[in-house]
Amino acid sequence: MRFIARTALTALAATTLGLGSQAQAQDKPHDGVTVNLMTFTGPQIAEPLQRRGKEFGEATGATINVITVPFSDLYQKVLTDWLTGTDSLDAAVFAPQWSVDYVVPGLLEDLSDRVAADDALQADDIAEFFREFSQKVDGSTYMITVDGDFHMVYYRTDVAEELGLEGPTTWDDYLAFAEAANGMDMNGDGEADYGSCIAKKRNAQSYWMITSIASAWLQSQGTSQGAFFDTADMTPLTDNAGFAAALEVYKRTGDYAPSDEINLDVGDTRNLFTQGRCALTLDWGDIGTLAIDPENSQVIDKVGAVVLPGSTEVLDRESGELVACDDTTCPHHVNGVNHAPFAAFGGWSGGVSAAADDAVKDAAYAFFSYVSQPEQSNADVTVGATGFNPYRTSQFDSLDSWIEGGMSERAAENYLGAIQDSLNSPNMVLDLRIPQNQRYQQIVLDTAIARYLAGELDTEQTMAAITEGWQEITEELGRQEQLTAYTSTIGAD
Amino acid sequence: MSDRRLGEMSPLTKIVVYGLLIGWSLIVLFPLYWVLITSVKLPGQVGDGPDYLPFIDFTPSLHAWRYIFVDLGSDTFRPYLNSVIIAGASTVLAMAVGACAAYALARLHFRPRLLSIGLFLVCLGLGVWMIGSGLVGWPIAAASGVAIFVISVLALSRVRSPRLGNSDILFWVISQRILPPVVAALPIYIMFQQIGILDTHLAIILTYTTVNMPIVVWLMYDFFAAIPIDIEESAELDGASRFRIFREMVLPLAKPGLAATSLLVLILSWNEYLLALFLSTARAQTIPLLVAAQNATRGPQWWYMSVLIVIMIVPVVLLTILLQRLIAKGLLLGAVKG
Amino acid sequence: MASERLDGFFDRNAGRLFILPAVLLILTFSLFPLIISAWLSVSRFKLGRDGFTLSYIGELNFKKLFTGSQQFHFLGTFSSIPFTGWLILIVTALLIGLGIRQWMRSGRLTVLGGIGRLIAFGTIAALAWVFASTMQDGRLGSLSTTLFYVVAGVSLQFVIGTGLAFLCAQDIRGRSFFRLVFFIPLMVTPVGIAYTFRMLADMSLGPFSPLWKAAGFGDFSWAADPWTARLVIVIGDSWQWIPFIFIIMLAAFESQPRDEIEAAELDGAGPWRVFRDITWPSVAPVAATVVLIRIIEAFKIVDLPNVLTNGGPGIATESLTLHAFIEWRALNLGGSAAVAYTLLFVSTIVCVAFFQLVVRPMRQARGQTG
Repeated sequence: MRFIARTALTALAATTLGLGSQAQAQDKPHDGVTVNLMTFTGPQIAEPLQRRGKEFGEATGATINVITVPFSDLYQKVLTDWLTGTDSLDAAVFAPQWSVDYVVPGLLEDLSDRVAADDALQADDIAEFFREFSQKVDGSTYMITVDGDFHMVYYRTDVAEELGLEGPTTWDDYLAFAEAANGMDMNGDGEADYGSCIAKKRNAQSYWMITSIASAWLQSQGTSQGAFFDTADMTPLTDNAGFAAALEVYKRTGDYAPSDEINLDVGDTRNLFTQGRCALTLDWGDIGTLAIDPENSQVIDKVGAVVLPGSTEVLDRESGELVACDDTTCPHHVNGVNHAPFAAFGGWSGGVSAAADDAVKDAAYAFFSYVSQPEQSNADVTVGATGFNPYRTSQFDSLDSWIEGGMSERAAENYLGAIQDSLNSPNMVLDLRIPQNQRYQQIVLDTAIARYLAGELDTEQTMAAITEGWQEITEELGRQEQLTAYTSTIGAD
Repeated sequence: MSDRRLGEMSPLTKIVVYGLLIGWSLIVLFPLYWVLITSVKLPGQVGDGPDYLPFIDFTPSLHAWRYIFVDLGSDTFRPYLNSVIIAGASTVLAMAVGACAAYALARLHFRPRLLSIGLFLVCLGLGVWMIGSGLVGWPIAAASGVAIFVISVLALSRVRSPRLGNSDILFWVISQRILPPVVAALPIYIMFQQIGILDTHLAIILTYTTVNMPIVVWLMYDFFAAIPIDIEESAELDGASRFRIFREMVLPLAKPGLAATSLLVLILSWNEYLLALFLSTARAQTIPLLVAAQNATRGPQWWYMSVLIVIMIVPVVLLTILLQRLIAKGLLLGAVKG
Repeated sequence: MASERLDGFFDRNAGRLFILPAVLLILTFSLFPLIISAWLSVSRFKLGRDGFTLSYIGELNFKKLFTGSQQFHFLGTFSSIPFTGWLILIVTALLIGLGIRQWMRSGRLTVLGGIGRLIAFGTIAALAWVFASTMQDGRLGSLSTTLFYVVAGVSLQFVIGTGLAFLCAQDIRGRSFFRLVFFIPLMVTPVGIAYTFRMLADMSLGPFSPLWKAAGFGDFSWAADPWTARLVIVIGDSWQWIPFIFIIMLAAFESQPRDEIEAAELDGAGPWRVFRDITWPSVAPVAATVVLIRIIEAFKIVDLPNVLTNGGPGIATESLTLHAFIEWRALNLGGSAAVAYTLLFVSTIVCVAFFQLVVRPMRQARGQTG
């Protein structure tokens, strides 16, 4: 009797378990799969990935293991891991700017088919710039955008009002604003504050700033004209009247800035700005959401954002001279001003290793899709701590989630308006995306600019240093290969 | 033990001496104090200017401590455990290997032939070339390199050649310390990757052992040399083997030196950053990496960093206090003689 | 029987067995990587269709550093030699002269010794010349900056460390307390120290900002001037390493031969005589050794410049290891290896020269061999 009961119970248990696991298998398509994902140390970017990773894991049975390293080491760590065949990483969230270096040796998985079959991702909702330029290399999709990155100028609306000024439309406006505001006490602590705070620290994230300024002169005919090299022969666009003008502007902003600006990175300038010590700053979208943080911000509802200031003169590449901005020279001008919003860095995106197991690839892709889907993404982009900035058109549609996040209606309109102006601009500048672009930007450009700001080089010498340095790298790596890569990346061929 | 030479110091001298010493103590302790109070400050408090005294200038908060221990939990615990395992194991290994080598150099006479060394280098170069040109896999290249070396040494064993001595070997071992880690990092990475032990404790332990062993040899050599040789000689006459003499007689006498050297090596391993960065990805991360990683795009997270620095220092300080007496004696006897 | 044979085998080869693990470790993890690094330094790394390629390019990487486009980065920007530069050259010439005279006097003139000294003195002279010619306006390259860190840093650390040790060796109370407290900076991880000093040196958020402002320096930024930036790094480095020198020199002072001192005092010798005849000879070898150890370590400095200034302003605080590290991060493996190898070369020459010319004679004077 007891024996029968025991057997029956065991059988019952087994069946239930069996049924249960079957149900589990159906609910948890990635059960038992572990995805090792690398990104840089947060809380920006890493925190939402970890949080969404847990949710995703609970829903699908996968384990998302987020590994973080300092930002400056991310590029080489992932590349070394995949190039040497170590393959301890299955996926990474990094810069689409680097994707060429990963795609050419065949390290990244082609995601085009998966994206095409994925309705939940709502790929059409992703702004065209990110969908077509950022995610794709040579027409195939390799990365999934989770964050939209481009530079804007932020200013103190209260200070502007006091001075009778508006958000700057040209860089001359910017300088004038900074000069007027410099020395005022902008946060009520009795100390003089600064007109402009721009992160200029070497070996940090500063080398994008100069391009943000220079593009206004260098690119006027649309994204496919490019802002770094001449599309005919790969000559750097760093030795001309436009770049010189940009350098001078960049240096002059330092006249109205903290004396140690040359040692400030974005973290420091963001702090300064949210503590109310700067009238103007140039930064990614984070300031918008950081400024409304009730715990740490002293400038809640006092911040306005504008599209990157432009220029009334643009470079004529044939003659090397500056010409006035009109319908021919700058077809995309706005009231005679050429704006070239710069998608600096490109926006954190997820890529999957081509060497991973199929099950892991599926899980990794599904995770990235999950993070990028409107339901998750639209909530995350309203929170400054996530580091995610808007990149989907649906994120601009309604102000509700932003107001829920803490922005006033006016601030939300202003902030989103500036982002939308940037996103919708046909003259957006794509970040440099050729093989080993790190050497061009992080080594040559960063060093030359740092020396320029430190007073070691003058404008002429700086331009010469950058140009020579870039030409040397191009020669080393093969001019024709670099040119092909460059033109295909900006769609100029 | 006082230095009787200045045994009777004038009150003025006393004040000056104590003043300078206390002054330097402040210089040492102030940055640490600053780190400690930063670990209980809120981001806003750090951002708007210096606050010096807790409870008076600002209200301390445990948010950073909570974040590091609770929110991050295993992400803090794992690197901490890794650091403990790696530093501990590499210290023990470095001491073992280094002490043996130091003892041998202090007591025995080596006279390697310059010719053998030359042959060795040639075979090494040959092996590297074979691997580099991709002709054969590394196991075959290594095996053939060793084989060629052994054969050529035996074949040329009658050939006369100048010889090197103990001091040369000693210098060679110590000079390894001159090698900047950045030179060796990538090749070591590739070596480990070929064997498949990247991102494991073993990889970093082996690397640290190699890097720190020269210091052990340097310091312990002087300790061993200072021990009177007659004790060992009489034991030898009694028929004890080298190993027994070493283990049962020499080591106990050198305890202070061992303690001092172990502490130094432990500190070096505990705090090392560059090699750990190269050789670890996820599983074998150590705490210095975690400290550096607190420099996020939002700016250095001073408060989290401070917590990590504090929990890094505390165990080492405790260990030092424990070993204080031993170390004081050890330094007295040992490296000093050098 | 067999175990006795085994014991006998172990005993005969005890020496080799004792030293074998150390030798094996060094060969595998030092020598082998060294050769591979040498190969890297003469090749170029490129990403390609099937992964990466390393192509042999000969001395091009080195040429770039010494005479090519990276010369400003590595050696510095050459200009006229300022007054301080001439001083440095004169002092170096005097030291070299002393070294030559010491060698002539030693009576043991060998070819090997001659070649060695030629290389050593030649390199040191070249380094001094590079430093002096790039000093103007502080436009030093990473090579000269590293030399500055080594010379200025070790000198400062030695003076303060020995001074503290001397004070602590006097008849004072609380010696154990001081010994422990002074030792603590050595326990902090260098990365932690770098960030701590960054906090402390912050002109507006650091604890000294009221002082700066009161002294009128409120607007000055130490990070914007090359020499003050380097100075701050030397200060941070010294804070960490003075304990090391202190501990060892303290032990040295404490272990002076007490009986000799008492005898000398009984004979009526003044403190200066005692110091010169008894203290200095017993302490000098230790001092030389500890300075050598510090020099070896100082050449490898990287954490402080990396964190405090990221190598800035411009390239003013970039040490050779940091230079190699930055190149490596952008996957310029050949360039990185070339810089690292040059560091190894310079470091070896200076350290070996110091060992042969300073440490050895002092040890021999003391009666030690080797």
